[in-house]
Amino acid sequence: MDISTNINAASEQDITPKKANKKAAILGRKLLLLLLLSLLACGLYIFLNINMKYFDYALKIRGKKLAAMVLTAFCIGSASIVFQSVINNTIVTPCLLGMNSLYTLIHTAVVFFLGSSNILVTNTYLSYMIDLVLMGVISTYIYSYLFKKTNHNVLYVLLIGTILSTFFSSMQSSMTRIMDPNEYDTLLTTLVASFSNINTEIIFLSFVLMIVVAFVFRKDLALLDVITLGKNQAINLGVDYDRTIRHLLLAVTLYISIATAMVGPISFLGLIIANVSRQLFSTYRHTWLIAGSAFIGVIVLVFGQLISEQIFHYSVPVSIFITVGGGLYFLYLLLAERKR
Amino acid sequence: MLIHNLKKSYNSKTVVDSVSLEIPKGCVLSMIGPNGAGKSTVLNLISRLIARDAGDITFKGKDISSWKNKELAKHLAILTQSNNVQMKLTIRELVAFGRFPYSGSQLTAEDNQKIDEAIAYMELTDLSDRFIDELSGGQRQRAYIAMVIAQDTEYILLDEPTNNLDIYHSSNMMKIIRRLCDDLGKTVVLVLHEINYAAFYSDYICAFVNGQVAKFGTVSEVMTKETLSEIYNVDFEIQEIEGKPLSIYY
Amino acid sequence: MKKNHLTIGLAICLFLLSIWSLFLGVMDISIAGLLSGNLEELEILLISRLPRLLAILCTGVGMSVAGLIMQQLCMNKFVSPTTGATISSAQLGILLALLFMPSSTIWTRAIFAFVTATLGTWIFVFFIQRIHYKDVVMVPLVGIMFGNVIGGITNYLAYKYEMTQALSSWLVGHFSIVLRGRYEIVFLVVPLVILAFIFANHFNIVGMGKDFSSNLGVNHNLILFFGLTIAAMITASIVVVVGSISYIGLIVPNIVALFKGDRIKGTLLDTALFGAVFVLICDMIGRQIIAPYELPIELIVGVLGSILFVILLLYRLKNGRKSVKPKELFKKRNIKNGYLN
Repeated sequence: MDISTNINAASEQDITPKKANKKAAILGRKLLLLLLLSLLACGLYIFLNINMKYFDYALKIRGKKLAAMVLTAFCIGSASIVFQSVINNTIVTPCLLGMNSLYTLIHTAVVFFLGSSNILVTNTYLSYMIDLVLMGVISTYIYSYLFKKTNHNVLYVLLIGTILSTFFSSMQSSMTRIMDPNEYDTLLTTLVASFSNINTEIIFLSFVLMIVVAFVFRKDLALLDVITLGKNQAINLGVDYDRTIRHLLLAVTLYISIATAMVGPISFLGLIIANVSRQLFSTYRHTWLIAGSAFIGVIVLVFGQLISEQIFHYSVPVSIFITVGGGLYFLYLLLAERKR
Repeated sequence: MLIHNLKKSYNSKTVVDSVSLEIPKGCVLSMIGPNGAGKSTVLNLISRLIARDAGDITFKGKDISSWKNKELAKHLAILTQSNNVQMKLTIRELVAFGRFPYSGSQLTAEDNQKIDEAIAYMELTDLSDRFIDELSGGQRQRAYIAMVIAQDTEYILLDEPTNNLDIYHSSNMMKIIRRLCDDLGKTVVLVLHEINYAAFYSDYICAFVNGQVAKFGTVSEVMTKETLSEIYNVDFEIQEIEGKPLSIYY
Repeated sequence: MKKNHLTIGLAICLFLLSIWSLFLGVMDISIAGLLSGNLEELEILLISRLPRLLAILCTGVGMSVAGLIMQQLCMNKFVSPTTGATISSAQLGILLALLFMPSSTIWTRAIFAFVTATLGTWIFVFFIQRIHYKDVVMVPLVGIMFGNVIGGITNYLAYKYEMTQALSSWLVGHFSIVLRGRYEIVFLVVPLVILAFIFANHFNIVGMGKDFSSNLGVNHNLILFFGLTIAAMITASIVVVVGSISYIGLIVPNIVALFKGDRIKGTLLDTALFGAVFVLICDMIGRQIIAPYELPIELIVGVLGSILFVILLLYRLKNGRKSVKPKELFKKRNIKNGYLN
């Protein structure tokens, strides 16, 4: 190494950390903006058109819905970012794995086999637990089997997942057709994503589970930045790639399960918020990406719900807005990808 | 590093068959051979990127599979051909990953120094804030080499480092590889298609045919008319330039 | 010689199953009754059973041939009317017809469905031709997402104009409403499939790539859009009558290709026959499982088809390379690369 490069290196040393700090500051400011926006959304949601007479009651109802939305946004936002990074593709979401239809199938199957008057169905708390446990166990089993069978070829797993989603929904439809029409009626209301009628304990439980999952997989989550370099590079840098991927996908599955069992199936939300976050932050650091995605999720969900409630007076559910908006965004992403 | 009786097959097709090899320390070893001879597979096997079917790979007296991943990453680095990052990543951020086995994501002052040294060594200082996907092929290749340098390992394994580079950039790359060995005392093992680069810049050559070692030795031992003709099935002439054997084939 | 055995076997199988299915149903029909001139039984046969059988045959043949054409043209074994957004586009067309012309006849709806299905398929192929994905599996994924988008728009419109109920009969395919006078559009499949037979070689050549076909003097884009239009029209005429039936176009050609290779001319007839047999079997299962009621065919195909397809996929993944023939190498190379990397 000759002298000139040494000098160069020495002077460079002073500059680069500063630049890194500056970059972090910009990212921090963006995140702060998102935080403020989501707080604004939450504030609007709580206080807009509130009836002062029943203030306490309305506050309680709206607060519960809000909490459910925030939790959902955090679950889906982080799960989508993690999933996209793991499979190294930003135009897919974990809902492509067929977990939404798995949820509807499980939920239908429980009603189908136990009957709508069974305590495990009528008690929201128990029904939530059953959905969650069944979904966690079954999806973990199915997807880890698929990953093993396809030698961790994620694209094949995705393709099989989309086919499985037809399979699950066909099974589910078949069951509903055989089912007693009265039971079907009670079932139907729980199959559409909804933030109303969620029990406080369930929200609390979901929150605790989220924290537990994040804590258990904290080491794998810390490896996300390295994972995005690709399999070979990650192994080169001393990461146990297959194991980490397995853990991360398990965490994704659990997060999606938590969100779905709490509010019902929501597709496309993850696609929007994860990609907006990636565009906004344009960094590889997952701490920023995940936090951004979660806050954007809160903003999208809460504003969507506001529009659905205040403008359309509940006539069009928020999930339809998200599907159409997500769809258009997806087309845009495809076009943008084409230009590159 | 000692390799003994290494075997690997895909769907009953054997790609690496009873390969035994001792990689000498502190020199440049090139692996050559026709397409599908198993060179890259051997490289991937000894760097634990793919699992072997049979055989032993002993690295510093211990089998490679009993090394801790992080520990091994401080002694052995591999750079394969396919490196496509979808993330927005600057050169400096990429090179910083080289320090991951040492400090995780929290870089120390020493890490920063090593990163800057590696960037400067590859003459990328002016570009260090550019994004990887905006670079030319040669620059990107250099950025990855810089990351491997920042990883500060004794052994560096490179899979066709001159692939897709033009003559200027590939001869530059070969000079850098030579310097890695001469200046920094590293052991470099690389897969090459260009025989003359192997002859000119390395100390040892290992020639593969059909998943087996056809010839292993110093450059002058392997670079003979008979050996090369046999390996490649093409007529060769050998001439000496600057005291090094160079081959002519047609 | 052996090739012909398969074709003849399938034909005989189809014939026997067809006869059997005619006598399957809530009302008993017997050969003796028919021969003795029992008018009631004859009427059931002509108004309900025979139309149903013909619709089933057209559906099976049509969907599998449409799938085969699309797979050839896109050079991708995972493309089909379902994974290529054709079905969802046709559904959108039907909804638009219902919205703008509430009194529309089945023919008007069919025209709407033709137009949207063709446009949807074109747009999809336009997209995937410009996005060069490294991995073959990415193409059907894009198609499925694209189909979801169109489905989302359909759902939104249906929700907004309170048409969800009306739409639902086109979302889940079933043969129970097939009666004389209401299903004849499905016969359009016959001339379209004949066209496909005539142009089979052209599709094969176009499937080999733009340069390859120009070299042989075939107008690549013309044949490509012509073939896609045929596939889309076949699909649309089936969706209008029986609703969406997914995965036949995906599974049937793949299973046949496992046995007979990828040359379209040699496999077209077998694909058509096997498709008809498959749909017929699924229909018979659907009619038996909760008799006297019946389960829609779409659900049976959904369950059986998905299982078959996943097994097929895993089988290919495991043994794909062993069964590679020189002819197929061209297409399989992509899959292998994707798998290894």
